[in-house]
Amino acid sequence: MNEFYEAIQEGRPIEGLDIIDMHAHLGPYYNMHVPDPWAARMIRVMDRCGIAKTVFSPSFGFDADFVAGNDLMLKTIEEYPGRLYGAATVNGNYPELSVSELHRAFENPRVVMIKIHPVSSKCKLSDRRMKGIYEFASERKLFTLVHTWLEGDPWGSMDLMASMAREYPDIRWLMGHCGGPYGSYHSVELAQELPNIFLDVTLSMAPAGQLEFFVREVGSERVLFGTDNPFLDPRPQVGRVGLAGISREDKMNIFRNNALRLAKFV
Amino acid sequence: MKKLSFFDANASVGRIGHPHLLDIPDAAGLEKEMARAGIEEALVYHLMSVHGDAPLGNSMLLKEIEGHANLIPAWIVLPHHTGEMPKPKELLALMKDKGVRAARMYPTRAMHNFSLEEWCAGDLLDALEEKRVPLMLDTEIVSWEDVHRVLTNHPELPVIMTNCTYRFNRYLYPMFEKFENLHVEMSRFMGQCCIEDVVARFGARTLVFGTNLPQYTGTAAVGRLTYADIEWKDKEAIASGNLKAILKESWR
Repeated sequence: MNEFYEAIQEGRPIEGLDIIDMHAHLGPYYNMHVPDPWAARMIRVMDRCGIAKTVFSPSFGFDADFVAGNDLMLKTIEEYPGRLYGAATVNGNYPELSVSELHRAFENPRVVMIKIHPVSSKCKLSDRRMKGIYEFASERKLFTLVHTWLEGDPWGSMDLMASMAREYPDIRWLMGHCGGPYGSYHSVELAQELPNIFLDVTLSMAPAGQLEFFVREVGSERVLFGTDNPFLDPRPQVGRVGLAGISREDKMNIFRNNALRLAKFV
Repeated sequence: MKKLSFFDANASVGRIGHPHLLDIPDAAGLEKEMARAGIEEALVYHLMSVHGDAPLGNSMLLKEIEGHANLIPAWIVLPHHTGEMPKPKELLALMKDKGVRAARMYPTRAMHNFSLEEWCAGDLLDALEEKRVPLMLDTEIVSWEDVHRVLTNHPELPVIMTNCTYRFNRYLYPMFEKFENLHVEMSRFMGQCCIEDVVARFGARTLVFGTNLPQYTGTAAVGRLTYADIEWKDKEAIASGNLKAILKESWR
């Protein structure tokens, strides 16, 4: 038995561990009912399982209005300093507006990441209209979280993300969901080739042994904790990392140390 | 350490052609993954029954879990008309004789290619209902309209929905309002606070613990339930009590 096993089985936060969630959202989503999608409930759930800080981008910014999403993000991070941090959503169909949104968002030091959702925007990662976004991210060496799902995705496949990672080596590419439940092998293959690709653990259909595989093949220094809160509940991911067959140091890297090393949380 | 006792409603043994990651075909491998998450018991089916041949997989299951008292068999069943499986009453007698405690069905053309309508599966559903043997249906396979019809026509049949994702509340809630015999296995029911919301509205009886091991990890479902914002007695019911109560009512 260890501290992680006992805490998780008893349903209490792991003592002394301030988890950082690098992949979260906020607000309702057209396709589903979320019992309470707002920040106060997110904070309560975070407290329940020991998540100290969460980086989020509002859900309605992907299929609807990304500017309205950024408005909500900027307002909410002011309401919860030290707990909630922003990911600025961009949409390649609106190239100039996306770059101006980035300038607006990153004036706030609590915005720490860019979020791209290619399946929702139907704008390919390799679309020439994305160039200004990538240049902004590249100059600042920013984390850019990309939703990836299944290798056949024509808009934001893992392979497309990798080709952008080759073209823009200064961007830290966070591979959202690592391609989904069948993406483990290919995400590892790409991360082994490209040192600027980081693996996101967020997944509702999490394969048994996936974290152990990531750590063995890529190293825990490039695996980051994420949850999809409040789209998904964050507590399964705490159980998943905490009970994984990896060392305590690896768990600490995934839960928080990598995020602290790679992003600035003021 | 205060710990819940976990009884997994949705685990499998056997090899699959499209694994998510690990190759864990046997009972010992499944038990190892269960132990990692702290899961004591599981209701288990064989992947050969789903993706190969149902009768063959059912017999492989009994052989594979023999001597593993914590693994309880569930069979994949088909209507009898083609002769691949015995007539319903004979099938139920065989299941009872072999200690099989639950049935799973995979209708629709892409899977076992039969209809869940009464003219096709009605006799089998009647037989399961008469003995209160729980029927497990996969949300990815059957439509909610099918589920509604089964629950309406067979009000004494316990139905457990597997693979029920966090996106289905708009279907589920009106069904929970109507049917006491509907339960959801929670391996994919991972929407934020969905467990809390369902327990508050409909009670803890609606949910049963499950993982989809060894395709998915069991650690996520364990973390979801232990950290839930519900009373401990409700956690106990979901972790194992509800499934045990359903099984206790069967074969009466």
